[in-house]
Amino acid sequence: MKKALCMVTAAALAAMSLVGCGSSGTSAPAETKAAETKADAGKTEAAPAASNGAANMVFSWWGNQVRNEVTQNAIELYQSQNPGVSIDGQFSEWADYWDKLATAAAGNSLPDIIQMDYKYLDQYVANGLLLDLTPYVKDGTLNLNDCDQNIVNAGKVGDGLYAICHGINSPALLYNKTITDEAGVTIKDNMTLDEFVAASKTIHEKTGYKTNMSYGVGENFVEYFERSNDAVMYTNGKLGGKEQDYVEYFKLYENGIKDGWHLDPSVFAERTIGSIEQDPMVYGSSPETMSWCSFAYTNQLVATRAAAPEGANIQMTTWPAKDPKKSDYMKPGQFLSVSATAKDPAAAVKFINWWTNDVECNTTLKAERGIPLSSKVAEAVAPKLDASTAEIASFLNNVVAPNSSQINPPSGNGTSEVNDLLDKLEEQVCYGQMTAEEAGKQLFEQGNKIMAEKAAAK
Amino acid sequence: MNKLKQKLNSEAYVGYLFVMPFIIGFLCFLIVPMAISLYYAFCDYDILSPPVFTGLKNFQKMFSDPTFFQTLGVTFYFAFVSVPLKLIFALIVAMILFKNSKMTGFYRAAYYLPSVIGGSVAVAILWKRMFAIDGVLNTILKNVGIKCNIAWLGNTKTAIWVLILLVVWQFGSSMLIFLSSLKQIPTSLYEAADVDGANGFHKFRMITLPLLTPTIFFNLVMQMINGFLAFTQCYIITQGKPMNSTLLYTVYMYQQSFEFYNTGYGAALAWVMLAIIGLVTLALFATKKFWVYDGGL
Repeated sequence: MKKALCMVTAAALAAMSLVGCGSSGTSAPAETKAAETKADAGKTEAAPAASNGAANMVFSWWGNQVRNEVTQNAIELYQSQNPGVSIDGQFSEWADYWDKLATAAAGNSLPDIIQMDYKYLDQYVANGLLLDLTPYVKDGTLNLNDCDQNIVNAGKVGDGLYAICHGINSPALLYNKTITDEAGVTIKDNMTLDEFVAASKTIHEKTGYKTNMSYGVGENFVEYFERSNDAVMYTNGKLGGKEQDYVEYFKLYENGIKDGWHLDPSVFAERTIGSIEQDPMVYGSSPETMSWCSFAYTNQLVATRAAAPEGANIQMTTWPAKDPKKSDYMKPGQFLSVSATAKDPAAAVKFINWWTNDVECNTTLKAERGIPLSSKVAEAVAPKLDASTAEIASFLNNVVAPNSSQINPPSGNGTSEVNDLLDKLEEQVCYGQMTAEEAGKQLFEQGNKIMAEKAAAK
Repeated sequence: MNKLKQKLNSEAYVGYLFVMPFIIGFLCFLIVPMAISLYYAFCDYDILSPPVFTGLKNFQKMFSDPTFFQTLGVTFYFAFVSVPLKLIFALIVAMILFKNSKMTGFYRAAYYLPSVIGGSVAVAILWKRMFAIDGVLNTILKNVGIKCNIAWLGNTKTAIWVLILLVVWQFGSSMLIFLSSLKQIPTSLYEAADVDGANGFHKFRMITLPLLTPTIFFNLVMQMINGFLAFTQCYIITQGKPMNSTLLYTVYMYQQSFEFYNTGYGAALAWVMLAIIGLVTLALFATKKFWVYDGGL
């Protein structure tokens, strides 16, 4: 009897602790249905208490040290100009941000103001999670008169305007010119992949510094790579391109490790990949754990310069590609959206209006996210900005714009799982556990399977 | 009014009232989420759109998911290595602290401390930095004269040990339980052994250990369950890197649920883990009669 009781207790304990662990994950989705029916049935309820502008709002974004500081300053400025309004700023690194946002969506607790990305916009709109801003533009709460209509349209899905773009970016290879000079290598814009590999080899031989070829965040680079082959990688229901293309992509890593110019994968095990401050170009103890370059975006230049060790001369060029004109693109980014469940949508829209049209706000933001959307604001802010920002504008206008193609459509469902597969395969190739041929074959076969499954589930 | 008063005064009502907070918590945070999770386990559910019932599909998917088997392997290895090590460690420290001295209280608190803070995110981050290529460990080794540039966290053979060490370091609660059982062993037994001329090892082997087996058993079961459910260490320190060699089951469950948005599959994984823990616990109970001394205490 005693024994049986003991056993039951132990089993119950096991169950409890397991569910205790799982419950944080499983309890939240319970509310999703409620959230969805609300969004489906009644559109979004108009704000009852919008009139006096008194509101508590949450504003979330992903970013880096510089962005966190300027955004926090802007929020404080807004609060001082609008007594009674309080905004709680929440920030994360890119990868964590989307986990957190999905969980919040499930728990019906999305932040009122959400920094959105082009990749995820469709998905969030399709599930009724974002507020259509069109009525607010019509009634003047959101003034977009001074904004380039093409850029505004980037935030449209169907007939609705769901996000306001606050920065145009493009892929940018940031590199430490101090190292390339030491190695006697000249880096020019629109480099081909062969030139890039040759440069990496020379730099490794001459200085000992290695190369980080977008390790661990390969998805953007492989997509870029595929664009040279006229293939769109993440389409709905399948993976674009041919198996051979992916083998070729993994070959770059295989050879990089074999020839010694690519960073050892073990360096990344202890880093938060994607964090500017922990990027091997700016952080590391010796040349063999550091990279001379970083696959980044134009709007990361300022933060990277801030994070770089003193004396390092960080410059910017295009990512290498077989055919740079086909691969390179301009990306509307840094969108701001209002969640469909915002308590006071009008107050949230008012904040976005201020963000778009207020000169003081944009001076505070230092154009870290990109050139201000409103041409009037951009003009007013321009003389106050530092050299880096002007440099980015000129890079986008003079280097990228004339030599790039239209961006790929937003990624289909299942992309995040394929990205994970890609990173794992890349890891195995770099650890020498798998050949490029095997990795390419697996990525193509399994990736197609994942994309097809996700599309079928819809 | 009087009736109400009478009712409220009756023992049954007062009893229910007192257990109410627990019952409510139990229902809201355990039974309901468990039921929902069971439902999701049979659904195709991606968090953002409503769940679609698909029957056993999620469970079938596990058989063709190599990562599932890999992560099971890692978790079993982790639990079966870390738990015995932790218990041995806890027992040794308990034996040392058992001897009374002026500082005993201080030492007990000091050794218990890692258990209080050990599960926290801060310690996990500290651990990650300690074992970094340019971390404390490598620096110490360098200063001692061992030229050491090992990426402890980047090597498939060593990374799991970083996690195991962190867990073993949190031996405090087992140690306290051992300490209290040690105190309950009657001193007359040791005195009798002294008369018979037994040395320290004999006393430990023939008296202490057998009388401790029920406590060891209890600690083993509890820690085993904890071992299978370890999450924070892996999530913060390695995220399963390198090459899934440290990917614990719970972290994989999390990834499937919230990173790949296969939340239905994640829920199914949770239920399979519940079954596994149940089986392991049953198996431990089955071995009980072979080694646990049930008579004495």
